[in-house]
Amino acid sequence: MRTFILFIRRFFNLILFLALEIVSIVLISHTQTLQGTDIVSSANTVSGLLYQKQSDVIYYFGLRKMNDSLLSENMHLRALLSARHEYDTLKDIVIRREKDKVDSTHVIKYAEYKYRTARVVNNSVSFANNYITINRGWADGIGKNMAVVSGTGIVGRIVHVSEHFASALSVLSVKQQVSSRLKDGTIGYIAWDGERPDMMVMKDVPQQIKVKAGDSIYTTSVSFFPPDIMIGTVLRVETVKKNNLQLLYLKPSTNFRDLQYVYVVENKMDMERKKLEDSLKTKP
Amino acid sequence: MSQYIRNFLRFALIVLLQVQILNKITILWWPEPSGFPLFIPMVYPLFILLMPFETPVWALLISGFLMGLCIDAFMNTAGIHAFATVFIAYLRTNVLNALMPRNLNDYINQSPGIKNMGWGPFLVYSSFLILLHHLLFFGIELWNFSNIGYLLLKIVASACTTMLLIMVYLLLFTRQTANR
Repeated sequence: MRTFILFIRRFFNLILFLALEIVSIVLISHTQTLQGTDIVSSANTVSGLLYQKQSDVIYYFGLRKMNDSLLSENMHLRALLSARHEYDTLKDIVIRREKDKVDSTHVIKYAEYKYRTARVVNNSVSFANNYITINRGWADGIGKNMAVVSGTGIVGRIVHVSEHFASALSVLSVKQQVSSRLKDGTIGYIAWDGERPDMMVMKDVPQQIKVKAGDSIYTTSVSFFPPDIMIGTVLRVETVKKNNLQLLYLKPSTNFRDLQYVYVVENKMDMERKKLEDSLKTKP
Repeated sequence: MSQYIRNFLRFALIVLLQVQILNKITILWWPEPSGFPLFIPMVYPLFILLMPFETPVWALLISGFLMGLCIDAFMNTAGIHAFATVFIAYLRTNVLNALMPRNLNDYINQSPGIKNMGWGPFLVYSSFLILLHHLLFFGIELWNFSNIGYLLLKIVASACTTMLLIMVYLLLFTRQTANR
């Protein structure tokens, strides 16, 4: 026993060092998966409040830019609206009726999305996993795994929630991949290589699909994002000789550097869908 | 001011500086670096570097761990900063012993600085530990060594900016610390 105490006293520093490093490694390994626990996160009250104070100051300098982005988003939405309701000729009426029919059977029942606005109080683009802190928490109805979109494209998913703040893992993250589709319906997935915030890669596109620079890429209904939200436009196409698949380098349509307001999207059918899928998994 | 209060104030000041200003550089003040990696100076290990000479290793380790966790809580990195900071806190005493001519316990109530170490040894001491810290942090964070040139460039660019800021800090605050 005495030698044991002597041993501890002699190597106390080394033992403490190893213990603290092991604690850190445990904390790191908890967050390596998306289902990790939130022990330390910027959604806690202290850092959330600090970020909120800073963003209150900076807020006024971005008002002009924000106005412009709201105007252009309004324009886009108005264009969509007019496309649904404009009918001068007989042909247009037929199209409108068809659309209405689709709405009443599929869309409204299958995917009901609820949008909530939130202000971004902290943001980063320069790490391998970037996080966004927003000033809404579970008191405002925000929950884990909800999608975050901006007026121009996709942003990320909520990973930590506290009472008044939540932090979202941005799509600029090496941990997270987003299912995506081309204009003609070809499905692949989008990943980020951890380097430039204005460049993402769409993988697994077969070679026979013709893609040109400038083509748009959208979200699919398989991902946790609502379908048909723009992700970005293709910058250049590269063919991998090894497996005859194409890599599409694309420019995300969201400007991750000046996010000011985002929408948090709740999928009301998500719980039901997950329950069904889990019950399928457990059966042999 | 006692050493404890001074170090506590320095802790708060460095956390605020790191979290509120330095982390935002790439977002707010440097929009398009066009191909060059986005780097981030991390000056918060300076808190460990400037603890008094005679601080025992266990106190260094615990304060390094707290510092790392504090930064982790702000940056959502959950333990990576704590890991890197505890590592350099463990090595700090050995590096100082190798660089200083006298026993560390002879420097009573003094912090490492350019007045009692000189520019040369201090820069060697700080740049070695800072580079090690950045290497660990960015390595663990990306955990993908397929594009190692990019990773190394990011580490070196971050470490150089950090060293620049540390030198500025020393030039600004040296006179007050040297009198005590």
